[in-house]
This record gives sequence, structure tokens and C-alpha cells, in this order.
Amino acid sequence: MSAHDHVEGQLPHEPEKATLEARNKILGFWLFLGAETVLFGTLFSAFLALRHNIGDGPSANELFQLPLVFAATMILLTSSLTSVFAVQALHNHNKKSMLGWLIVTIVLGLAFIGLEIYEFLHYIHEGHKFTTSAFSSSFYTLVGFHGAHVAFGIVWIALVIGQVLKKGLTVVTAPKVYISAIYWHFIDVVWVFIFTVVYLMGKVAG
Amino acid sequence: MSSNQNHTASEEAPKRHKVEGPQKHIVGFVMSLALTIIAFAAVSAGEINATFTYIILVSMAVIQVIIQMAFWMHMKDRGHLFPIVGIFAGVFVVITMVVMALYWVWW
Repeated sequence: MSAHDHVEGQLPHEPEKATLEARNKILGFWLFLGAETVLFGTLFSAFLALRHNIGDGPSANELFQLPLVFAATMILLTSSLTSVFAVQALHNHNKKSMLGWLIVTIVLGLAFIGLEIYEFLHYIHEGHKFTTSAFSSSFYTLVGFHGAHVAFGIVWIALVIGQVLKKGLTVVTAPKVYISAIYWHFIDVVWVFIFTVVYLMGKVAG
Repeated sequence: MSSNQNHTASEEAPKRHKVEGPQKHIVGFVMSLALTIIAFAAVSAGEINATFTYIILVSMAVIQVIIQMAFWMHMKDRGHLFPIVGIFAGVFVVITMVVMALYWVWW
């Protein structure tokens, strides 16, 4: 096995792809992301079909505040950059810097979740509850599902950090860091479509 | 002598790989940032007609996603044929679903 070819304490150039198992994990994870794309696609198509059915509730235009959405977007975009810095530190075998960037990513993820909770509470206060209308149900399902993915990503990256602290940076732990970073980017990619389709298009529709 | 040379070669091997710099990631970040700001500005301005704004918004989102996948998800790196097949299978289903849903509702 190629994992044992390397001298103890000396990592190959791309430690996340050093073993066949690691390469299979990465490929399998991409296929999972293909399925995730379909999952979010169904929620997006439901939202697009139902977004004008507001019933007695507030419309998207009355509800959404762009400065808040812009702040959330900036936080998530920056966290995507910090997670790619973590992967870069991984490639340069700099464990300390990698862990530092992963922690920054988690902190930004928590800030995003905090902002989203504040936003949802504000909407509920405005009379935009889950069962208010077809628009509100599809909105909370889509955006809430994304928020749940962010929360899951935070827990996941925290566990990966714990494992790296315990076992060190090896050809076993490196693919885990890499895959969690890919997942985090995917969350950001989904958010690009959410802020475009849900918030910005909601503002245009009036 | 010969073993000594080998030892030196294996020690130097990792150094031959060029150290990955942050430049290309920062370029990706700045491009994403610019596309995001254009999208928000197009809506905040509110002067442009709705159809044209929709076209701007969707184009900005698609470009930004392609940039992020290429730079940050390493899809432009070699050995990513199957990931691309996997993701595009997903994207194909999504486009079909979205078009179908909109067709049901609007026409």
C-alpha cells in the first residue's frame, strides 16, 4: 500500500490523495454532492413554483432586508476562502496553520447560523410563519435546509479538528480535512443560488 | 556515497513541488465578491426592468458558481473527470426539474 511507502513523519505532496481509499472517498463524496444538488434542486423548483402564493402573509419584497442578506453572504463567502486556505496549508504540511484556518471557518459558520436564526425570528415576528402560505413553507424548507447543512458542516469540521489534534496530520486524516472543505464550498455554492433566487429575485418581483 | 545521494534526493523531493500560494484563491475570492456586489447593486438600483435584472442575477450566480467550483473545489485540477460527471448528472436533473416546475406554474 502506498500509505506505507512514506517515511514515518514525512507526508506525500498531496496527502489527501495518497491512498486508494482516500481517492475513492473523494470520488464517492463528489457523487454524494451530485445527489445533494438534486435534493436542493427539488427544493428550489418547489420554491420557484410557489413563491408568489403568499396568501395573507407578507410578500418577499416586504419581508427581506438586503443589508442582512448581504452580510450573511459576505460571511459565508469569506468562510469558503478560509477553508480553501486550510486545504492549502494541508498541501504545505502546515498543521498549525491548517487548524487555525479551520477554526476561523467554524467561527464564521457560527456567525452565519446566528444571523439566520435572528432573521427567521424576525420574520416570525412579522407574521411570516412556516404555515402562513405556500411561499413561507417553501422558503423555510429551502433556506432552513441550507442552514441545517451549515450547522452539520460546523459539527463535522469540529470533529475533524479533534481527530487531527489527536492523531496528527496523516494520510488517514488528510482526506477528511479535504472532504470537509469540499462540503463547505458546496454549502457556499448553494447559498449563491439562494441569495440570487430567493432574496434578490424576491426583491425584484415586488 | 550512493545511499547518501539517495537520501538527499528523497529529502529534496518534496521541495521540487512548488509551494502553493494564496494568490489564485484570493483572485477567486475577489471575483466572487465582485459578482455578488454586481447582483446586489442591480437589485438595489431598482431602475432596470425586471426581466433584464433576472438575466443579470442568474448570469452572475452561474459565473460565480463556476469560478468557485474551478478554483476552490479544485475541479480544474487533473483527475476530476468523474466528479464533473457526477455533479453534471445532478445539474441535469435539477435543470429538468426547475424547467418543469416553472412550466406547470406559468403556462
